Parts: sequence; structure tokens; C-alpha cells
Amino acid sequence: MKTQQIIALGPTHLSKASRFDEAHLLQELKHMLPTQTPLKDFIHHNSLHAFQSLKFYDAIFKASKIFGYKVTFNLAEYRELFKIGRIRSDILEMILKDQKGPTDCEHWKHKLLHADYIETNPPRIGRLRDHWKSAYHLDLDNLVHPLLFRILGSYLDQGVALWHFPFENKGLLQAIRAMENNSFVSFFKTKRAKKLLFDTAHCTIPHLLDQIVGDESLYVQYLFDQQFAHRGWSGMAATLEDHPEAVLYPKKIELRELIIFELLLEIDALESTLGKGWEPLSQKLKAIKPVDTFADVLHTELQDLYQIWQNAFEWSYYDEVLAGLQQLKNSPQPKRDMTQFQAIFCIDEREDSLRRHLESTDLHCETLGCPGFFGVEFYFQPESGKFYEKLCPAPVTPKYLIKEFAAPCHRDKEWLYHKSTHTLLRGFLGTLSLGLVAALKLFLTIFRPKMSPAISNAFAHMNLDGQMTIENKSLQNRENGLQIGFTVDEMAARVEGLLRGIGMIKDFAPLVYVVAHGSSSANNPHHGAHDCGACSGRPGAVNARVFSFMANHLKVREILASKGLDIPLETQFVGALHDTAADEIAFYDDSILSAKNAAAHQKNQGTFERALDLNAKERSRRFASIDTTTDLHKVRKAIRRRSVSLFEPRPELGHGTNALCFVGHRSLTKGLFFDRRAFMNSYDYRTDPEGKLLLNVIRPLPVVCGGINLEYYFSRMDNYKLGAGTKLPHNVMGLLGVANSSDGDLRPGLPLQMIEVHDPVRLLLLVEHYPEVILATIQSQPEVYEWFIHEWVHLVAIHPVNNECFYFKAGQFMPYFPLAKQVNLISDMNHFIETANGMTTNHIVDATLENLPVHLLPNLSKI
Amino acid sequence: MSQFLPYFILFPLAGLVLCFLLAGKNEKVVFGISISVVALHILGLATFTIAWLAGGMPTVYFKGPVLYETHDSHFSINFYFDQITAVYGIVAALLSFLVMIFSRYYMHREKGYKRFFNNVLFFFFGLNVVLFSGNFESLFIGWEILGVTSFFLIAYYRDRYLPVKNALKVVSLYRLADAALLIGIWLSHHTFERNITFVELQDKAMLQSHFAVAPTFAFLIAGVFLLAAMVKSAQWPFSSWLPRAMEGPTTSSAIFYGSLSVHIGVFLLLRTFPIWEESVGFKSMVIGLGLLTSLVATFTARVQSSVKTQIAYASIAQIGLMFIEIALGWHSLALVHFACNAFLRSYQLLVSPSVLSYLIHDQFFTFNIPQHNFPNNLWGKLRMTVYMLSIKEWNLDAFMVRFLWNPLKKAGRVARFISSRAVVFIFIPIFIIGFYLVYNREVIPAGSLDYLPTAMAIIGIVLALKGFTERGKAQLAWSLVIMNQLFSALSIGLNEEFEHLQIILFLSGIVVSGVIGFWCLLRLEQLGESVKLDRFHGHSFNHPRITFVFMVAALSLSGFPITPTFIGEDLLLGKIDEHQFALLGFSALSLIMDGLVVFRIYARLFLGPNQQGYHEVAYRSS
Repeated sequence: MKTQQIIALGPTHLSKASRFDEAHLLQELKHMLPTQTPLKDFIHHNSLHAFQSLKFYDAIFKASKIFGYKVTFNLAEYRELFKIGRIRSDILEMILKDQKGPTDCEHWKHKLLHADYIETNPPRIGRLRDHWKSAYHLDLDNLVHPLLFRILGSYLDQGVALWHFPFENKGLLQAIRAMENNSFVSFFKTKRAKKLLFDTAHCTIPHLLDQIVGDESLYVQYLFDQQFAHRGWSGMAATLEDHPEAVLYPKKIELRELIIFELLLEIDALESTLGKGWEPLSQKLKAIKPVDTFADVLHTELQDLYQIWQNAFEWSYYDEVLAGLQQLKNSPQPKRDMTQFQAIFCIDEREDSLRRHLESTDLHCETLGCPGFFGVEFYFQPESGKFYEKLCPAPVTPKYLIKEFAAPCHRDKEWLYHKSTHTLLRGFLGTLSLGLVAALKLFLTIFRPKMSPAISNAFAHMNLDGQMTIENKSLQNRENGLQIGFTVDEMAARVEGLLRGIGMIKDFAPLVYVVAHGSSSANNPHHGAHDCGACSGRPGAVNARVFSFMANHLKVREILASKGLDIPLETQFVGALHDTAADEIAFYDDSILSAKNAAAHQKNQGTFERALDLNAKERSRRFASIDTTTDLHKVRKAIRRRSVSLFEPRPELGHGTNALCFVGHRSLTKGLFFDRRAFMNSYDYRTDPEGKLLLNVIRPLPVVCGGINLEYYFSRMDNYKLGAGTKLPHNVMGLLGVANSSDGDLRPGLPLQMIEVHDPVRLLLLVEHYPEVILATIQSQPEVYEWFIHEWVHLVAIHPVNNECFYFKAGQFMPYFPLAKQVNLISDMNHFIETANGMTTNHIVDATLENLPVHLLPNLSKI
Repeated sequence: MSQFLPYFILFPLAGLVLCFLLAGKNEKVVFGISISVVALHILGLATFTIAWLAGGMPTVYFKGPVLYETHDSHFSINFYFDQITAVYGIVAALLSFLVMIFSRYYMHREKGYKRFFNNVLFFFFGLNVVLFSGNFESLFIGWEILGVTSFFLIAYYRDRYLPVKNALKVVSLYRLADAALLIGIWLSHHTFERNITFVELQDKAMLQSHFAVAPTFAFLIAGVFLLAAMVKSAQWPFSSWLPRAMEGPTTSSAIFYGSLSVHIGVFLLLRTFPIWEESVGFKSMVIGLGLLTSLVATFTARVQSSVKTQIAYASIAQIGLMFIEIALGWHSLALVHFACNAFLRSYQLLVSPSVLSYLIHDQFFTFNIPQHNFPNNLWGKLRMTVYMLSIKEWNLDAFMVRFLWNPLKKAGRVARFISSRAVVFIFIPIFIIGFYLVYNREVIPAGSLDYLPTAMAIIGIVLALKGFTERGKAQLAWSLVIMNQLFSALSIGLNEEFEHLQIILFLSGIVVSGVIGFWCLLRLEQLGESVKLDRFHGHSFNHPRITFVFMVAALSLSGFPITPTFIGEDLLLGKIDEHQFALLGFSALSLIMDGLVVFRIYARLFLGPNQQGYHEVAYRSS
């Protein structure tokens, strides 16, 4: 029986070791703590990455038991979803049969729909340390956290405070020692703690634990309890220890030192409240031995039910997607005679709708998709910038530097933010002089919102008039170990790699747009999460421009031609940036265009504008502040206004609703309405019959798209513990992250406003190729294979010849026949958008209704 | 002209009632009603102010309804309008208007959208009561409303731990200010032998003639009002509540704790200025406190790494300066300073989330690693000391814990012996005997009549203390509050001849709300929920209706102006003679304690994370 199974894999059984191994513990702690970097860069990742070596359901239920996360909906919610038809009953039966066998279905169906269960899920973490409360009536968190957070926050602060923390380059403990030595007051209340701080021989984790806990077998559990009582701050410290480059103002921090300091504060709190002679915790435990945090998690029947429900929830959507694909394949495809222009977009699912509208506006255009750094990886230094910015996926470490020059570097200031308003006398003058300005500003921000220095502007990332050192002049030209610019060979390799990967090797249009994306938003600490994930959470404008420069380079063209990739001379590449919040576009370096192309470009700009109008309208249906039915231009204007409105916590909805990832030719999906839920990577199996390029195409997708998808999944399922909660009360801490309250823990994860539209389903990766080719490809790389075999990402192969679907399960591809016979047709796009459902509340049962099913667009010319 | 004054109160009240009753969950309706009320209020106020300016800025006074009157006590609602009211009224209305519009989409889809707007309207109403009030009694009504709405706004995210904890913290401190204000009313009642109005305060000769007789009282009256002002305006040593009050949505923090609520102390100080105008010693004290606050707050602001906390302390520092300006008599400057500070801090708070990208972007182009400037000498050591103290907020939060909560908790432990049995077998009999004695004074030995009222008041406090530390069933704590109220009534009853109506007024609300509250607790138990006070249960998650009913009962039990108990409270206090400081002290303490116990019961049972079932549960550290 499956219910007897024990989830025994996973993080090593730390607590079972009788000897305390500090190095191992620190390593495990770091592995389990959140790894979100400071918010200036936002890299999406699987929130439960520590459990990724387990099968999806085993992992989430284990994490749930240990940390108290909510990892699925509860029964009442699933039943409600079933009632409203969002979970289809034919799918539920299919899943039931698959998981429980055909005989026992009715019995299980009753359980699913009607049986009562106790669903309360008290976490294991924290139980040992809770004994301070039962034994001494002492709330250690209340006594320790405020000062600990304040000191750590000040130590790591990037520039909120006017007086910065002294000695932060020495390490936390050394800094505190230096301060204690040079002051008339102390952070500690008792002599004991202060003495221990300076007693370097005994100021170690085991020695301090000996005094606080007393029983070596409990050390690990105690430290997990302690650090997970503030996982946000601990995770930040651990992340900065390993990635000091993640901040501009470097700080020397170690998780080990944070733990030691916290232990000292605990001793201090215990000594000052209990007086001398208090006994370590283990003495107070008596006979009760607390449950081992990492003990095996028993598989329960309730978990079975959650699993069946969740699978049914996911497949109710996937099934219609697959049905739609087959229906599209079987309907006649319009034949295109000549291509006016091509546009390469990021695979980002937010570009799905823009591509669709572009294609419907100009029937003679073709759109493609690839990761938005366009295959060029480098650091970028804006004119007069003091730092480099990485513009490629987070795991890549570039060897190149591109510098901007000859750009005007005037930056506007926002005086109302000036720090001197926080001082006394200058603050007095500042208050009197700026007070009424503030009143006026407040008035204007409400009634006339416009771009200001306080708003993060996607277009300001790079200067339109600036020039860049894209081409390397001499190999000696280096800075800080980085080569300045790319050589011609290096450029050619990158252009070829990208074009071959997306199957763009012939039939080039005279104009090829390379459209990056970024997002402008106001009052939004999480703005980085809206920018391009493939550019380390930044706008991809530079990459688009750099790629276009490379592809236009005559010597590059020569090399490509010699390799059989013949780009006609009249073809020119133009970089562009699409602001996904404001729905604005800017083109770069269009002055180089030939007269003929310039004229065509003029016309195409109109096409882009028209498509953006339609795109804005489609997006507006989810925004309460906009009436979707009004004039297109008004809608567009309202969309633009949103992106600069300080009072708008949803300038856009980011990756919310993402669910699919296509790898295949556009003809696979063109003509289907996915409601902006699909990442789309162009790939043509015909140009790569043996799948030689396929690995490079697929490899980043689970990490990037799967990472985004799982972060949304978990932030949606448990916005309190795995998400950041509602944005509205957030308080920016040290420019690193956000917290609730002045004494609260940092809150990694996504805020409520970003995930409320999201239906938490795992990513379905669909690849158009022969199943055996795909299987061989994913098996060739264990770290890629892990995502699929452990079911963190679903994989379906679309057979290129007979269009059949094959679902990857337990190591092999099995044929799948969609239960849905057909998807609905959209007859009038405007009407369809204007009358679409909106959610009444953001509870899943209401919110899911806003996400539209897959539809067929019958005739592109009519839309 | 004066007849228009009541409308500035009645109008927001009508809006609140309308919004509460009419608007369902529909965001558009909720917002529509709220914004119309404030917009019309602004129009009215602007028209009125223009007329008032044209008329040469006279002091406008309106004598409102008399709620209660006998030969020695008088409780009426009066209205008053002068330049202080004008500036405060206009700034408050404008800010409320702007922030409400700001909140329209900002709060979109937030659970409790309506709760938020209702609270803002309620706050707006309370604020206008304070601003337009013509005597201390009326002002006190508004003052109480501000306290309660603050509690709700801080604990807006009621399913998290920190907002609830901090709301309790702040409201307990507010309770201290309430008691100070009540004592101030009592003191002035005895000094002037009547309920004085703000018009009368302008009569310097009258004031001086009374103060000449009782110079200590003059100092005391001013002192308690100053205390109330210091608490509400987060002056030293009460500063640490302000950053902790910023738990709600940024918009509510901006309008209340960034601007309006926190400047109410300044308002009170301006209002009561005539009382201490002539006392150089008192003025020096205000200047000293203001200066101390400014210094401590500005240092604390300098080291903050949390944006909202930094703004809070920067604001406190400016308010410290306002205290100095008032003491120096520069009232126009203080008013301008108030208006500017209110707008600037509201704006800074509203845009505080932008700081991250703005400063990082700025740093990207301008950053230099800062140099340390802590030289290894006495100067360096002093600087380091200031730095470390500022990090610790000059121990102000620890100070509150040590001198306010811990003594109460310790005292409560003394009362540990009280169980529900003890209540039945010891305290109820005592009460019955006491009750008998009220009507049979002749049996009391002459000497002990002086001590009996105080003894009864002390018993009441002991009961309340027990209620405060009770970790078992809520019913016990609830009954203890009721008992405390009964004993307070008893002690006054024994103290002096009284009129039945006064006692009935006082007890009516208590009995009704006591019974309703008790029913709520029983109902919860019936539904299988725990009603133990050992932790937060968050029952509002599953039982929002019971939560609301209990909340109303709790408010009226703690003397909130929704039942006649409120008037009775004030009247009974008036029965304490001018030399009975001990009895006054205990009665005031008993009022504070009632509030604390009641809010604690409400918070522990209905607020905080709910652990039952499978749903999202907030971390304790959030």
C-alpha cells in the first residue's frame, strides 16, 4: 500500500548524529534557508530548492510537515474548485484511475468529495525552543529579536541610515567587540554575555550551546529552531556570505557569526530575566523528548487526497491545452507568402499577447522567442556608473565588459527624499521649506501621475544616445579581469548560436527586430521581479542593442556566410525595448537603416503601436482602475499612467498565471489563445533532426521558467510563509529587502499583489520533436533530468509527424489522448476581452475564474 | 456663525454610519461614500474658514446639548473654533482626502477594504471631535475614539502576531494618556469648581485668581495635560511606540502616525497653553523635554536602517521642536511647522517603498565606501556611546517594558490566589456587604468611613490585575473586569452622597455589555473553540460576527463613549474630593486596567494567527 510508504529521502538526518558537526550544520542550514538575494536584483527560484532531490509531492509534504508550509489547497478549496467546474470530473476520474487503480474509484471519490479530515498542520520546527515558554514562561524571541534584527540590519544596511555601522569590514563579532571596547554602554545587559564575547576560546557555537541547551544531541535541532524563527534575516546573511557581490556596499558577514551573536544575546536575555543559576534547556525537558525535526514523515491518506486533487487541478488545464494544440494542427494553416519583418522576443509569457497582436496587425510578420539576453553574456557599465551590472542569466559568469560612453549623464534628484530632512536643524529648515512642496507633490501624484526620479524607469537603464564598447579593439583591452567588448569571432559565435537555436537560418526578412523587455513601476521594492529574468532581473535593452550590433557587423556576416548561415545584405537588425508595464516601445540605433528599410521601419512602428494598443486593452481587463470597453487610446493612456502611479500596487502582474513553456516552431501555437500563460521558445526540429541543439535550448528552461513557476506556485499556496504577504504594510530594510513592522523579519518570496491572479500549477514544458530524441537529450544531463524525473516540471513531447502527445512519466514517454474534444472559438476578440470574467475576490475559487481557458483564434486576418 | 460648528462633527459621523450600514463589500460604494463625506467636509470647512477670516478671525463658540446636569456637575458637548482649529481642521481634512484617494486602488482587493475605510472615517470623526471641541469633556470623547481607531488600524492585519502585539502596546500607552486627561478634568473641576470651557481658559484674570488659591493644582493640571500630550505625540520617554504603530497599510501609517495622530499632543498643548502660560518653571520644563526628545529622536533617526522607523523618529524630533516653539509662545510658527511636518512625513511614508530603487540607483553612480570616524579617544568613545544608544533607541522600549508592563505583571502575580471560587466566595460577599453599607452608612464606625472607599478601589484593582495576568479562561478575566467596575462604583458610593441616576448611568452600560460579552465567550466555547488566554487564538478568522459583537461589548465595558457608562465614569470621578488623591489615583488606575484587560481579552481570543485547519498561518516574526 502506498499509504504505508515513508518519505525517508531528503536532507541528511542531521539531528540523529550524536556528535555535533558545526561545518555540516552550517552547510545544511544554508541549504535550507531562503536564498533570495537583496531586492535590487530579483532572481526567481524554486522556493523549496532544498527539497528538489525528492519527488515533488514527497518534497512538498515533507517541507510542509517540518516547516508548516501550506503546499496545496485544502479540501474545502479543492471541492469548491470542483463544484465550479475548474476541476473537471472526467479529469478527476482519469487521475483517480491512474493513481488508485480502476477498481477502487468510487470509494476514493467519496473520500475526495465528502469525507472529513483533520487538516491542522502544526509544524515541527520551533518545538524544542518552545520549551523556554513552558519551562520558564519566557518568550525568548521577544527578548532577543528586536535588538538582533536592529543590529544585523544596521550592520548590513546599504544606505538608509545617515550614520553607518562602524567596522563592518571586520566581521560582525569583531565589529561588536570593537564597539563594546570603545564605548560607555553595552549591547548586553549582563556581564556574563559580555565576558563570553571577549573570551574567544569559548565564544564558539558548541560552547555557547553547552550553556544554553546542555545536551549535544539537541544542538542541531535547537539551531534550526533558532534560525528558522527568523529565516528572512538568516537567509539574507547566508546569501551575502556566499555572494558578497550581491550588494553595492560590501559587508563581511558569516552565518556562523550571526548564530554566535544570537546565542550571546540569548544568554544575556536568560541571565537578565532569570538571574544567575538558570539551568540549560535540556535540564528542563524532563522526560519529554521533543520530536526530531527531520524525522521521517509518514505518508498519510490526506496527502494522497491533496495529491489527487492537485493533479486533477493541473490536468484540467493541461488537457485543454493539448486538445487545443491538436485541434490547431488539424485545421488548415494560412499560408504566408512574404515576410515584411521578423521580431525576436524574449520567451517571457508576457510577450505572448504582444506577439499575437503583432501577427494579427500585420499578417506578413513573423515572431520568434528566445531567452531575453539574446545569447550575449556580459557585464555592463553605464556612463559614470561605479559598478558593473550583469546582463545574462544568474548562473552564468561573463568574461566580457561593455562600457557605455559619450552619454549625457544628468540624473534628476528627488529632494523630498533627501536624508537631511531626517536630521534636526536641517530637518527643521527642510520641513518648513519642503512641507508645502510635499503637499503639492502629493496632490500631483494622485491626480497627475508622471515619470519622476523616484520611479524605476525601464528605459533609463541605458541611454538612448550613448555609445558602447561592443567590439573589442585589442585583446589587451581589459578591466578588472574582464575583456572589454567581444572580438569578431566571439560575436559571430554568439549570433550563430542564437539564430540556429531558434531555427532562423533562412528566409530572413529585410528588418529583424530584437525586442528586449523591462518594466517601469512606481513605489515597488519588487520591481526587479518584473524585469527580464534572463538578464538577472534587469531590463534587456543593452542585450538587444548589442546583439543587433553584432548581427549587423559585416565581418560577422562574412564568418556566418562561410558557415552556411547566409544573411542577405539588405537584412538589418534593430534592437528595441518593450516596457511590459507601460506598454511602450523604444527602438535603438535606427539611424543606421538603409533608406528602404527606414521607410519600412516607419510603417512597422505604426504596426507595433497598434499591437501595443491591443495588448494594453487585453491586459486592462484585469485592472480595476481601467474600463476596458472605452476607446483604445484611453486604455493605452491609462495603462501608461498605472506604471507611474505611486498608489498602484499592481503596475503589471508580472509572471502571474504562467503555466506553459513551448519549445517549437511558432506554427505549433500560432492561432491559439493562451491568455498570456505560455513561455515560448522558438525551435525548429526540422533544422535539428538529431537534436544536437536541443539540449542547449532546453537546459535553461527548467531553471529559469521552472524557477519562476515554482516561486509563483509556493508564494500563491502559502503567501504568509513562502511569499512576502501583502505589499501594503511593507517596510524597506537597509535597501536589502522588506519586512513587516519595525521589528519584523525580512520577508522573501513574492507579495500578494503579484500572485493573486496565479493558478498554482506546475510548469508544463511542451517540446515539438520525436519523443526518443527528447528523452535522450534530457537524460544526457542529470541536473536537467532531475527536474522532470522528480516531477517538478511536467514534460510533453509533441510528435512532429502525427501530432500525438506523449507525457513523460517515470522515465518514459507515454501517449496521452486529450479528454476534451475541442476548445472554443473566439469569434470577436474585442468582445471576448470586454466580456471576460473578472475576479470578485482574490481567493482561489474566485480568482481562477479570471484566467481564461484555451481558445482557438479562427482566422487571424479577422481579428 | 457658531451654529455651523456641530455640522463638522455630525457630518463625518453621518458618513460613518452611512458607510457602515449601506455599503456592502462593494469597493466602489465604500470608497464613494467615504470620499464624498470628506470632500463635502472640505468644502464646508473652506467656506466656513473664508467667512471666518473675513470676519476677522473671531473665536467661535457653540454651546451644544447638555447630556447631564445637577447642582454640582454638568456634562455638555461644546464646540469651539479658533486659528488652531482652523489649521488643524484644514490639514486633517486635506490629508484625509488625499490619502483616501490614494487608498482607493492601493487597498484594492485587500481583505477588509471596508474595515479600512470605516476606520478612517471613524478616525476622521474622532479627530474632528477633538479639534472642534469646546471643553475637555467633549475633547475626551474624541480622544477616546482616536485611541480605539488607532488600535484597529495598527492591528489591521489581525492575523499576524506583531501588529496585534504592537496594537496592544500602543493602546495601553494611550490608556495612560486617557487617564491623564481624565485626571486633568477632575483637577480643573475642583480648581475652578465647575466644568471649564476653552472660552473661559482665555480669561487670564479668572485663571490667575483660581491658581493663586491653589498653585499646586495649577502645576498639576498643566502637568497631566502635558503628560497626555507627550504620550500622544511620542515625546521622550514615550517615543518608541510610534515606529511600532506603523503596522497597517502604508497609507494609514502615513496619515495617522506620520501626520495627524502624532500631532494631537501638540494640539492639546496649544489648547492648554493659557493654563501654564505664566509659569516660567513649567515652560522651561516643556522646553527641556522638547529639546531632549529632539536630540534623542534625531540621533535615533540617524542610525535607523528601516525606512519607516527613520521617518517616525525624524518626525518625533520635529515635534519636539514644536513643543519648544509652543513654550516660547511662537504659536503661529508651531502651526506652520505642524502643517509642513504633517505633509512632508505623510508624503515620505507614502513613497517609502520607492526608496529602495531610488537610493540604489543613486548609489550606483555616486557610491564611496564611507570612512569610519570613531577616533580612539574620549570624543570617539562618546560618539560610539551615542551610536550604540541610538541603535538601542536609547532603551526607550525597554524602559516602557520595565516601568509600565512589568510592574503590572508582577502585581498581577501577587493576585494569583484569586480563582473563580475566590470570586464567588470572597469577593461577591465583600461586595454585598459593601453594597449594604452604602445604604446603611450608620453602621460603619466613623473612623473607617475614610478608608473604606479606598479599600474598595484597591480590591477592584487587585481583581483587575488578576484579570490582566490571567492565562486561563477568558470568562474569569471578563468577570474580574466587571467586578472591578462594580467595586469602583461601590467605592464612590461609599465615598459621598450620590444620586441613583449617576450610578445607574454608570452601571447600565456595564451590565449590558458584560452580559453580551459573556454570551460571546460561552458561544465560542459551545462551538468548540478554546477561550484560554494563554496565547493568541485568532478566532476572527472563523467567527467574524462574534468578533464584532464582542468588540462592541468590550468597548463599552471599557468606558468607550457608546454607552452611558462613559458619562457615568466622568461623573463618578467628580465625586472624589479634591484632597483624596489616593482614591483618585486608584480610580484612574482602575480605569486604565479595565481597558488593558478588555483589550487583552479581545486580542488574545480574536486576533493573531489562527492555527486551526489547513490554511496560511503567519510567522510569529511577521
